[in-house]
Amino acid sequence: MDWTALFLSLRLAGWTVVILLPVSVFMGRFLAFHPFRGKGLVEALVMLPLVLPPTVFGFYLLTSFGRNSAIGAFWQDLFGHQLVFTFEGLVLASVIFNLPFAIQPAQRGFEAIPRGLREAAACSGLSPFGSLWRVELPLAWPGVMTAMVLTFAHTLGEFGIVLMVGGSIPGETRTIAIAIYDRVQAFDQASAGIMSASLVAISLFTIALTYWLSARVGRRLS
Amino acid sequence: MIVRILRWAGACLVSAWLVIGCLAGVLVLGGGLKARADRPLIAAASTLQFALPEIAAAFRAETGLTVTPSFGSSGNFARQIREGAPFEMFMAADESFVFDLAKDGLARDQGAIYAQGRIVLIAPHDAVFEVEPSLDGLARALSGGQIMRFAIANPDHAPYGMRAQEALEHRGLWQALQPVMVLGENVSQAAQFATTGNADGGIIAYSLALSPQVGALGRYALIPAEWHAPLNQRMVLLKGAGPVAQAFYEFINTPKAIAILQRYGFVRPEE
Amino acid sequence: MTLSVKMRAAGAIPLDVAFSVAPGELLALVGPSGSGKTTLLRSIAGLWQPDQGQITANGAVWLDTGAGVNLAPYQRRVGMVFQSYALFPHMTAVQNVTVAMDHLPRSQRAAEARRLLDLVNLTGLADRKPAQLSGGQQQRVALARALARTLGVKPAALLLDEPFSAVDRATRERLHAEIIGLRQHLSMPVILVTHDMNEAQTLADRMLVIDHGHTVASGATADVMSDPQALRTMGIREVAAMLTARIAAHEDDGMTRLDTATGPIWLPRVDGAIGAVTRVRILAHEVMLSRARPQGLSAQNILPATVLAIRRGDGPGVMVHLAVGDDQILARITRRAAQMLALAPDDCVHVILKAMSVARNQITAETSKHTPPGPV
Repeated sequence: MDWTALFLSLRLAGWTVVILLPVSVFMGRFLAFHPFRGKGLVEALVMLPLVLPPTVFGFYLLTSFGRNSAIGAFWQDLFGHQLVFTFEGLVLASVIFNLPFAIQPAQRGFEAIPRGLREAAACSGLSPFGSLWRVELPLAWPGVMTAMVLTFAHTLGEFGIVLMVGGSIPGETRTIAIAIYDRVQAFDQASAGIMSASLVAISLFTIALTYWLSARVGRRLS
Repeated sequence: MIVRILRWAGACLVSAWLVIGCLAGVLVLGGGLKARADRPLIAAASTLQFALPEIAAAFRAETGLTVTPSFGSSGNFARQIREGAPFEMFMAADESFVFDLAKDGLARDQGAIYAQGRIVLIAPHDAVFEVEPSLDGLARALSGGQIMRFAIANPDHAPYGMRAQEALEHRGLWQALQPVMVLGENVSQAAQFATTGNADGGIIAYSLALSPQVGALGRYALIPAEWHAPLNQRMVLLKGAGPVAQAFYEFINTPKAIAILQRYGFVRPEE
Repeated sequence: MTLSVKMRAAGAIPLDVAFSVAPGELLALVGPSGSGKTTLLRSIAGLWQPDQGQITANGAVWLDTGAGVNLAPYQRRVGMVFQSYALFPHMTAVQNVTVAMDHLPRSQRAAEARRLLDLVNLTGLADRKPAQLSGGQQQRVALARALARTLGVKPAALLLDEPFSAVDRATRERLHAEIIGLRQHLSMPVILVTHDMNEAQTLADRMLVIDHGHTVASGATADVMSDPQALRTMGIREVAAMLTARIAAHEDDGMTRLDTATGPIWLPRVDGAIGAVTRVRILAHEVMLSRARPQGLSAQNILPATVLAIRRGDGPGVMVHLAVGDDQILARITRRAAQMLALAPDDCVHVILKAMSVARNQITAETSKHTPPGPV
């Protein structure tokens, strides 16, 4: 069991969730409550990472902030090393790639709130923030939680993008998924097996948690 | 209306603050590749999959210093190094990659050859063909339609794959094997395919076949060295390499390291 | 604290209205579906913006499209009661009410919320969640919440959007009675949107009839109910008048005798104490007229009345306005009948009512706004 890799994966998933939580709440709410021209396009863009092959995504990420890009050069000047092949680079890639997982379930959670409730909140004197905090979030939090749980699980399993943008640098970008790949190539079936089983267990737990949360959304509002 | 915009701006500012705070945390936690100077990253061709960990252990036993090897195809590593991957030393399976890096100013110098490699034909124990250095058994099985899949490393970026292609072309089997060819991302993955029954056989590195983990899985035969260009495996210190990487570089040339390499079938160029 | 509304909108929902509501006054907005009455109410709340409009409450500008002022709902002091209750499902009744009390110090909120829940007859149910309350109880909580927002604060307006159409009839009648009982507490302008004419006539001081966004008739309830324009919009069979009567005795045979200005009437058992004043809604088409006092008639309720006016409509009927003491009664009879009786203003006639024609829900307790009947 490569504990460094496991903790790296958990750290990566953790930071992705922390960064995407406000995005999930505000973007999910915005898309749920405000129709606007071009909303379909925005939603499609948000969903794009879901259907795009990870390698395509990885390719574009490399060209956007690899060594030969403006962002990469800027980062090099600022920190003295590259953004790619670093943990920070992985976090950035992970945040972008997990947008659909973070936003969509949250958006559904907010959409499930009847319009009349939001109007009643406004008529009861609650400002938009007051309404968000006291009425909308208590009702939509299962959707937001689902979004965070899915983001976490998805990041744990992400392979293609991590490999392309991060390489397989032990202690820096070698996540557990990559470590499994690495161990298989090293003919170390035992380690690969243990790590794979752990990931299966984590994934099953995540799915169960997601279903339980979805049921709560329904119960909350009835 | 303006109040609404201001409120949304406030929300965005709060989010931005959260994001920046997170990134700062990320940087603090994850930043410090410089701190890795004491455990330099070594990009090593997959052929060294079993040999290098032994050498690194010997190195630590002798000096107390640690290195962190990473294994993959030489071509892939060369690309990553060009993109700024933080390796301090590169042990390629083919010298052309080292020369290219040196030409582009990414390496300290032209490096040095540390070994010459060989390729072998390998098949699982219940193989459908006879494993012979002449590849005759393979040819017979091929014409008899018994070969479903045959694995080599990807010739596009793995030197052992390139040599496998040359040998097969020399023997006139390259075209015939095309329909059943399976390409491993590096020579280790090719070995994986060839020995676990996922392919009927393959051509892999001699060093891998000599390791207990792989060798036990099948039978192999050395392919004549004249059938392909030599595998001059060259290593080089990259720009920004630290003292530990330097020490390791020099350690490769010591008798202890050479002995380990020889055990894995690598020959010194003078021999 | 007068609420003054003026607005105009084109498009899918056309609107062109102007009116005002005095503090403590209850205005009923009535009209057919799609007439724009709910849209109008929502725009007063700030949930919808018309193309052009001005809404001021006691001088405070809530909406002025010309000056670019449009306060959001939470910046206006409106208490809104929705048809669908719109209670927050994750909060108890008392929490639902305290949500609207941000203007009170935190320490006072719970106590005040419970007081309001008592006011709407929900004592003991304060800690239940909406899912544990019946429809009528939920609507009472919604009412308490709207009151919490608007009671004791200026300027404010209480808006009710078909608040009782989702509850069953028995509950609705009870709620009507409770609203009437609450009137003394309602010191702000109150606007009620309803399609139930009985409800409008029972509860409202003034009425505004809207059709396709335009005002068809507006004024005191009694006047609007006899306005022919309004009748055409509201439907001729809804025309009725309110007769004030005091409960005199509960008879043994299940009838109750009530005394009106010009005589007694008997109605099936009316709940109430002896001496209580009630208002009885009499539908115009249920009224018969007679020159002489009829004998041997099954109907017991025969009241002397004076003809005030006779209004002709488009159809075969006429509407006769009669005075019974200070109250007005409307009788809808055929033109032929009117000619046969040679009815003219100032004539003395008799108004005949079938006891069975008066439904239970059309007898309500007296409100302070109405004067009790003269003699008795």
